[in-house]
Parts: sequence; structure tokens; C-alpha cells
Amino acid sequence: MYLGVDIMAVWGLNLQFGVAGISNFAYIVFQAAGAYTAAVLTLGPEHATSFQQYIGGADLPFPLPILAAGVVGGLLSVLVGLIGMRRLRTDYQAMVMLVVSLTATYIASNATGLVNGPAGLSLIPKPLQGTLNLSLLRYQWFYVGLTAVCCVIVYFFVRRVTGSPLGRAMRAVRDNDDAAAALGKNIFGLRMTAFVLGGVIAGVSGGVFAEFLGAWSPGAWLYPETFVFFTAILVGGMGNDLGVAVGALLVPIGFLESTRFLPNIGYPGFADALEWIAVGVLALVFLWFWPRGVVPERRRRFQKPQAPSPDADLQPELPS
Amino acid sequence: MTQRLLEVRELARNFGGVRAVDGVNFDVEAGTVTGLIGPNGAGKTTALGVIAGAIKPSAGAVVFDGRDVTAKTPMAVARLGLIRTFQISSEFARLTLLENLLVAAPDHPGESLVPSLLLGGRAWKTRERELVERGRELLARFELESKEDEYAGNLSGGQKRLLEIMRALMAQPKLLLLDEPMAGVNPTLGRKIEGHLHELRESGLTMLMIEHELGVVERLCDRVIVMAQGKVISEGTMESLRKNQEVLDAYLVG
Repeated sequence: MYLGVDIMAVWGLNLQFGVAGISNFAYIVFQAAGAYTAAVLTLGPEHATSFQQYIGGADLPFPLPILAAGVVGGLLSVLVGLIGMRRLRTDYQAMVMLVVSLTATYIASNATGLVNGPAGLSLIPKPLQGTLNLSLLRYQWFYVGLTAVCCVIVYFFVRRVTGSPLGRAMRAVRDNDDAAAALGKNIFGLRMTAFVLGGVIAGVSGGVFAEFLGAWSPGAWLYPETFVFFTAILVGGMGNDLGVAVGALLVPIGFLESTRFLPNIGYPGFADALEWIAVGVLALVFLWFWPRGVVPERRRRFQKPQAPSPDADLQPELPS
Repeated sequence: MTQRLLEVRELARNFGGVRAVDGVNFDVEAGTVTGLIGPNGAGKTTALGVIAGAIKPSAGAVVFDGRDVTAKTPMAVARLGLIRTFQISSEFARLTLLENLLVAAPDHPGESLVPSLLLGGRAWKTRERELVERGRELLARFELESKEDEYAGNLSGGQKRLLEIMRALMAQPKLLLLDEPMAGVNPTLGRKIEGHLHELRESGLTMLMIEHELGVVERLCDRVIVMAQGKVISEGTMESLRKNQEVLDAYLVG
């Protein structure tokens, strides 16, 4: 379940970072926005007796909140993209994104009326739980299946983009934007497309996540989480959809979750702190020694016309 | 009848107090090859950059194919058919050689969002096949077929220069701006590139090229413009320029 969400999220970020070369250090914000959207659209309208404050509450049937999460992720990307990407170059874009991430956290934590402050939202009804009437464990497996289905859909969506001339143009912009512009490519348009598509996927993954957890709070979506995804991409293989999925398996799951089973050493929280250091070191190690990742970006070969066999000229020519 | 494809009028560009391009006037006629020469720092590359839209002019106008393209974006200028190459190789390093060519093709339907997402992508596959074919023809012409699937970043410096030209051709230019197409290549490859440029000239492609090797300029260019310190100091055929003392001085000083 976590793996599915992480894989989807990493695909979205890969589209932005691996394919189009946008260092979106605010990626987690788009995921959080999607999660929040899905949450409020399932919680039902806010009423006087409710202890939580939020905006735009509704009680939509199952797939809609997740789709809405994608829409919100996309719209937020349009907004942030228009501000942050129109005139700025890559390094500065990255800085803007980092600032966006920090700003979003502060707003979410302090504007209580907006998203219920640091407490976040809880008691979000789980999709279809009422109708299915499954035991908790079985429901979890059901949700795993649901996540897998979402993953498959997102995968085909992402493949369609990266495998098309559109993806190729995005990669050209990533490699050399001046040259791409000199060939008549709309570099802002291409970057925006990648950015918004990535934002949609981030939103969807956040939506799937929130619906499962049944809770949402700003503290769970801080900027370091974005770096976990970046590390996953670097480890897995930038620009390769399957590679980054492997990265998602290795880094957030294999690396971070597994440390839970380690015995507690040092003071409480010591292992957590080490985790972050380890993620950073891992990213650096891969950048330094293995920049293409475990599964490098594939070369796109084109089908060759049937080559004549080497002994073709030895054979008698047939009259045509 | 000759037709002016490019008109540059009183073009200027300042960088702080430096007048890199200082009131330049010249024309490029359709079907001709024009050379742009001058000592280092004369403002040739800046002028080229302003024409191609990469650098905003401080003053003056550029008219291409009857349209005012002054201060237009590089994208807009390129889409009108004015394609430039770069002095420093600017390959898409992590695209293969063939992909570098394909991506240069204008108006690919598969590059907009909706057709690329449609099932099977039939909308653009025909176009893609045509382009692959055209790309392979170019590779064959430039004797780089064997490198088709090589990452452009792995090519040698000279091969990158060739790629630069091939990619520009793939964009189907009306006017090709070449910024030192033979910079930093060995003499043998230099002669090869020159041969390719001769072929392009024969095919009737209009070119404006910056080049330092005067022999090359003499063989390739119908007309030559000499710049020094941001100004056009002379123009004419190479033959007539050779007799001009001012030009020789500019080169000796530069």
C-alpha cells in the first residue's frame, strides 16, 4: 500500500525531474494538497458540532475524491508553475520550490480555519468500507488491490507521455533548453506540461494515501519527504519509469521502513535522525558513483528496415 | 531576381557600457551564402544571437522573410524558419543521435498532449516514421549511420559539430545561421564539414555563417561582411576585401 503510493508519487516526480529536468523540491506539497482534497471531500460538509474546521467539505462517493485530488494537484501546479517557472532558470526554480514547500507548511499549520491547523483532519471515512463490510485485515488487502489498480493506470499514463515525441521534447529541454528553444520548441509550455502532469499524479497519490490512513495533518508532509522521492529517483535511475519504481521500492520502503525493525540505539529519535542522514548519504553516493541509477534510462531505438543478409549478393538474383 | 531574406537595420546591443553591437546594417539575399568575419570581440556572435532572438537588442530592427522579428523569442523566430547553430556544441546529451534529429523536426503532432495520450498514438506514428526515414537519410549523408543509437553526449567533438548542422537541417530552415561550424575540429573533419556546406549551398539553402578561416570563407561565401568593434567596417566579395587595407588592419590588430 505504501509502496503503491510511493511508486505513483515517484512516477509523477520523475516526469518533472527525470524527464523535464525540473527540480521540484515542493513536490510533497502537491501530494499533501491531493490528500487534503480527498479528505475534505469524503468527510462531509462541515457542521456546527464538528470539532474540525475545513473548507469545501463534501461527501462524494468513492472514486471522485481521488480524482478531485488529482485535479487540485494539477491546478496547484498551474499556479505554482506560472509563478515559479515562467522566467526563472533551473537553480532558481529549485529555490522557489523549496520556499513554496516551507511556506505551505507554515500556512497549513497556522491558518486553523483553512485546514484545521497542526492537528489536521482525522476520522476520514474509508472508501467503500461501509458497503463492502469486510474485516479490517481484509479491507486492507482490498485497499492494496485498489492502490495497485491506480498504479497500473498511472503507469500507462506516464508511459504514454515518456514514450511519445512529447516526452522526447521534454528530455531535449532538460538536456539543453537554449538549443531546444532555438529549434522552435516551446520550452515553458513543455516544462509546464510535465509540471502539471506530475502535479496531477502527486495529487492522486496523496488522495489514495489519505483515504487509506483516514487522517491528514500538515506535519506529515514536510519538505524532507520530497528528498526521499528524489533519492528514490536517483537510486532507481532518472528518467526510467521502471527504474524509479525500483527506486521507490528500495529507498522509502526498503531503506526507511526497514529501520523500524532495528533495535533502539542511543536516545529516542536517534535512529530517525540517522535515517535522514543515511538518505542524504545515499543520494550523494549514487550521484557520485552511479549517476544513472540501478536501472538507467533506456535508449530509444527505432526499428531498422530489414537489413539484407550478409550473403545476399551471393544468391542469384531473381528476375523481377 | 534576388530577394532579401534577412534585413538587419541599425542593430545595437549594449552590455553595460560595452557596445557589443553598435548600429549594424546588412542584408542576406535568398539563395546566397553570406560570411560574417572579424576579429575576436567584434560582436559577430552577439549579432547572431540578437537575430535569432536569444539576446534582446538595445536598438534597431531585424526583418526576416518580410516579417519584423525584432526581439521575438528564439522559439518564435525558429518557427518562422530561421534556425541557428551554436558556437559551443549544444547536443541533447542524453538523447540518441537519431532522437536529437527527430526532436528538431517542426510541427510534430505527437508533441502536443492530447495526441500523445490517445491510445496507440496513431495520430502521430505516420509522421514519426517519415521523420525516422529523413533522419536516417541525413545520418547516411553525414556518414554517421553507425552512431544512430549512440547517446549524443558520447560523440566526439567533431561529430557533435556535424550533429549541430544535421539537427538544424532537420528543422527545415529557410535561413541557417552557423556560428563557427568548424570551431575546434581537426583539419580533415573541417574539410568534410566544408564539403557538406558546399552541398547545402548547391541545394540553394540560404546561410549566414561566422567563420575565422578566411580560405573557407572565400570558397563558400558569395558575400562577406566584416565586423570590428561592434560595427560593420566593410562588405563585398572576399576578393575585393583582400585588397582593402582597413580589413587587413582589423585582422592584424584583432
